[in-house]
Amino acid sequence: MEDEQEGLPPFVRSWKQLYWLVAANLVALILLFAWFTNAFS
Amino acid sequence: MSLLDWLVLCLTLASIIGYGIYRSRRAQNLESYLTGGHSMAWWQVCLSVMATQASAVTFLSGPGQAYTDGMRFVQFYFGLPLAMIVISVTFVPIFHKLNVLTAYEFLEGRFDLKTRTLTSLLFLVPRWLSTGISIYAPSIILSTIFGWDIVSTNLAMGGLLLIYTVLGGSRAVSYTHTQQMFIVLGGMALAGYLVVRLLPGDMGFVDTLRVAGKMGKLNTINWEFNLADRYNVWSGLIGGFFLQLSYFGTDQSQVGRYLGGESIGQSRLGLLMNGIIKIPMQFFILLVGALVFVFYQFEQPPLLFNRAAIETVEHTAEYRELQQQHTRHFSEKKKAVTELSAALKEGNEARIAPLQEQVNTLNKEDAGLRSQAQKLVNAKGGDGNDTNYVFLSFVVEYLPKGVVGLLIAVIFVASMGSIAAAINSLTSSFVVDIYRRMWVRDASERHYVNVSRISTAGWGLLSISVAMYASRVGSLIEAVNILGSLFYGTILGVFIVAFYFRKIGANATFWAAILAEAIVVVCWWLDLTAFLWLNLIGCVALVGIGWLLHLTGMDKKQA
Repeated sequence: MEDEQEGLPPFVRSWKQLYWLVAANLVALILLFAWFTNAFS
Repeated sequence: MSLLDWLVLCLTLASIIGYGIYRSRRAQNLESYLTGGHSMAWWQVCLSVMATQASAVTFLSGPGQAYTDGMRFVQFYFGLPLAMIVISVTFVPIFHKLNVLTAYEFLEGRFDLKTRTLTSLLFLVPRWLSTGISIYAPSIILSTIFGWDIVSTNLAMGGLLLIYTVLGGSRAVSYTHTQQMFIVLGGMALAGYLVVRLLPGDMGFVDTLRVAGKMGKLNTINWEFNLADRYNVWSGLIGGFFLQLSYFGTDQSQVGRYLGGESIGQSRLGLLMNGIIKIPMQFFILLVGALVFVFYQFEQPPLLFNRAAIETVEHTAEYRELQQQHTRHFSEKKKAVTELSAALKEGNEARIAPLQEQVNTLNKEDAGLRSQAQKLVNAKGGDGNDTNYVFLSFVVEYLPKGVVGLLIAVIFVASMGSIAAAINSLTSSFVVDIYRRMWVRDASERHYVNVSRISTAGWGLLSISVAMYASRVGSLIEAVNILGSLFYGTILGVFIVAFYFRKIGANATFWAAILAEAIVVVCWWLDLTAFLWLNLIGCVALVGIGWLLHLTGMDKKQA
């Protein structure tokens, strides 16, 4: 059985945390783009 | 092109091909030829999946799309990070643990041979066609700049990458991807910097953004839910999610990339990092297009960017009249844009609104002139759509010596990366799912590697033949995505049933796939919805029909 933690970057403790980080990054990008569109339109 | 440009272009291409040949060694068996022997670290997986997705089409059409339609195309990628998560949770561990060479190999164990073969064919046909389009994209650069015959150009383009793809298979493809992505991203960053430098002296980066925003080019977000609108947040998140899930989860050109990861963890991390980096990268490519748009508010753009198309109509009285109107519009618009830029700098709200209205009215009128010119070209049997020529035209006309060569190399290199991966995946699916499974079952490893090399050359030539007819497909980036959307939903549906609906068996899934594909084609043919939704329709239709067929007892008859 392969080690579940193998490949995990040091700033997270589980794959679940990394999945949440990717999702949070998406939300942050969408909010940033919304600001960008409003700020310059 | 100057001697320096030629030198930069030739050295860049030679370094890619040389490195690819160097990495071609050690492909002794079919597994190492098709997957690279599971040797990639996460960052190589990440760069390889990015290089596979970002073809020359991305760098040719992307800025052109922002020029004509604004940056709203970035929303198309909103579903990608979510798809990366689902694939990391579900697809990656299953494919790794079963040690499959293609995604479709897994389907035979779960369903049966006919479902595996059908899904493999649903992959092979659109992937072959879209690879042809991807070869055509850089070829138009050569044919436009040098006036070369498009047939010879397509052959030259396909031939270069075949040298290392035939020899080294997946390993050579993945290693060259790493090198290619550094060249591509560096080149595009330089282009973005130079566009801002070329703007009038008093225009800074933020001033440029303000003008682009007031002219509607920074429209990165549209919250309105509209099924007929190609790009909004919801089509990107929902339709885009299904498209990206299908593409990364079931398209062998991507599955082959992350199957090359040295472990489940390395493959997962590579995909998740792609989920973080991809949207900002695409935003940046589109931003370059928006900056080019602002540049052309101060330097008169041609009425059409495709010089070859102009030559077919420039002798007509109608075109000359349109050209004169375009020149008059430009002078008037330049004056208004300069005033708008000054008002924006001063924060003079009373002046901004009327100037913005004036600029946008002039812009619409000019777009109307462009549209009329395009119709003239179309009426003469040419292709009036010049979206793919906007960025290229700017590069050749305005960027300094050496940089032109580098950016032409960027287009080539990006193209080679995605085409090489696609051809490698066509070979994987053909050799593993059809040749080895159905035609020649017990030959030696050496025999299969040799057949794979012949197959790679064959798919390369077949893709080049499609490239000969790709000139009439409009925006290339959209054509590739529409083609994918026609088939990906159904393929994804098969995998969703395989993973999550354990009760649905082979017969129900097989017939549901055929019916779902028919529904998708009818929806597209009748233009019932924007293409991104076809992915969702195909997937949901397959699961729904599959479930209904299962309830009728179809699977029991099989048993």
